[in-house]
Amino acid sequence: MSTCGAEDHVFVCRCEEITKEEIAAAIADGATTVRGIKVRTEAGMGLCQGRGCRKIIQQMLSQSGARPAAEVLPSTTRTPVRTAKISEFINEEDD
Amino acid sequence: MADGVKITGIPTMEELKATPGLVSDQRFEKSAVAVIECVQEIPCNPCEKACPFGAIIVGSPITNLPVIDEDKCTGCGVCLAQCPGLAIFRVEKNYTDSTSMVEFPFEYLPLPQEGDTVPCGGRNGQYLTEGKVLKVKKTKQMDGTTLVSVEVPKQYFMDVRTICRKGGSK
Amino acid sequence: MRKVQAVIVGGGPAGLAASIEIAKAGGKVVVIDENGKPGGQLFKQIHKFFGSREHRAGVRGYDIGTQLLKETEDLGVEVLLDAPVYGLFRDPAGIMVSYMKDGREQAIIGEKVILATGAAENALVFPGSTLPGVMGAGCAQTMINVNRVLPGQKVIMVGSGNVGLIVSYQLIQAGAEVLALVEAAPSIGGYGVHAGKIRRAGTPIYVGHTIKRVLGKTQVEKVELVALDEKFQEIPGTEKMLEADTVCIAVGLTPLTELAWLAGCEFTFIPLLGGHIPIHNEDMETTVPGLYVAGDIAGAEEASTAMEEGRLSGIAAAEALQLYTAEEAKALKAEVWDRMNALRTGPFGQKRYDAKAQLLATAKGGK
Repeated sequence: MSTCGAEDHVFVCRCEEITKEEIAAAIADGATTVRGIKVRTEAGMGLCQGRGCRKIIQQMLSQSGARPAAEVLPSTTRTPVRTAKISEFINEEDD
Repeated sequence: MADGVKITGIPTMEELKATPGLVSDQRFEKSAVAVIECVQEIPCNPCEKACPFGAIIVGSPITNLPVIDEDKCTGCGVCLAQCPGLAIFRVEKNYTDSTSMVEFPFEYLPLPQEGDTVPCGGRNGQYLTEGKVLKVKKTKQMDGTTLVSVEVPKQYFMDVRTICRKGGSK
Repeated sequence: MRKVQAVIVGGGPAGLAASIEIAKAGGKVVVIDENGKPGGQLFKQIHKFFGSREHRAGVRGYDIGTQLLKETEDLGVEVLLDAPVYGLFRDPAGIMVSYMKDGREQAIIGEKVILATGAAENALVFPGSTLPGVMGAGCAQTMINVNRVLPGQKVIMVGSGNVGLIVSYQLIQAGAEVLALVEAAPSIGGYGVHAGKIRRAGTPIYVGHTIKRVLGKTQVEKVELVALDEKFQEIPGTEKMLEADTVCIAVGLTPLTELAWLAGCEFTFIPLLGGHIPIHNEDMETTVPGLYVAGDIAGAEEASTAMEEGRLSGIAAAEALQLYTAEEAKALKAEVWDRMNALRTGPFGQKRYDAKAQLLATAKGGK
């Protein structure tokens, strides 16, 4: 049976299709923070903004010995914290 | 293989006997009685409030195990449907010379009919024996938790706790 | 810009309970929720709750939700729905809460703001974890109990906390077969009585096991389980293949803390409560004055404690708004603490009690 989830395609960030191996490679490259992973791989930059993968990436970082779990913070939170359409911010009458 | 409620989800007979919710062997002989199979100290006390005879005491803190007073318990079974853990049963060991009655909460559809012969199972859901459905009780106060009582061979009075879900292959 | 005494973000058990307390005290309160219906996760809880009579024990979750909603209506609490909150900004008059509503960004200032945003389910990654049919247990629970759709016929549940146990039971009630519940730890995490319900229904519980991989072309077809040693390493040769069409994941919750980070709250790390938690004091107030937290955001527990924390934050906010005197508030808060402490005792509650005590101590330490 062909598998959609073969060993080499275990997706951590499903929005941006970033695999476990790519995260591991980013850690090997020196990433010690969620942000470090993000800038190297784009994991956590998709539609869900890391809701699904953040914790797994935090765990991978702490398990790699990069930092203790308490110090692996989520990447910087910025407004808007919910997905929003650009149109929702535009006041057409102001053009 | 390790045993016990933390490993299997099923309390062993030793764990049950160590709780204050199980009455004495002599009490089982007398008449119908509640069997409280609550072996972990969880924050819960609706059984205490449910009993019209004050036969179940939890007290404070509410994590205390429920203590049954076997002389006060009339075996009315009001507590069964009030237990959120579905962990209280009603047992009449000497229903007849050769059979016992076991009543248990049942939250599945379809419900059995009175008089049906049903496959009865133990705490692990495995088939033990055929049983005859005596009563199917469903009132508003029971809030969706139906009580089913079955008549089974006496040897199973401490074992039968449900109707087998999968038809109960022998 | 509109200004009210209190704005509550999240209309689940904690947020609604908080709004009730503020409204009872005579405060003007607005609850903002991103969903189409208030109640959070309460309306998919079809089981009877634990606790004491004061916690409405023995009442099914959706009935508790209905009672809460009725109270909010009777008290005139304003609830904005379909309104995701996307930002918090400090304002001289309080805290500005920005949200989307009807395709427009809008904002409201609360003199006091309570975050009751809840928590999200943790994911698990394994080969095949992105196949259709793999889902959170809470997701499956929404499908069966809210939308009345059975996600599959043959289910494997991962995780033996109360969520995994309860959702397994409800899947069986909904007509599915739960082939196995697997738990990586060497013992069952949730209540034995919940485990007992699914055992009586014939579901085996495998402690010290996990999912090795899920196979399937376009959806889940087979699930391979494997035993784990005491160091959580797979034991070769113990693999077991089951034919299933659904895998539910119930491996804990993570508090939804984005807004608290945004507001500049200080955090502490408590794995038992879900990871990084906004530091808060006994009034549920964070390190940002006037900003409170309640429910799972303040440490993932369950609905009964969430409601109590909601009440606590509501009473404290009402006191800060001078709707209650210190004396009145003290008495009301003491009642809540008594009920809450009752929920945090015993072998299951004690660890949460200790974790919360540690959290409060951090707040007092006042970094």
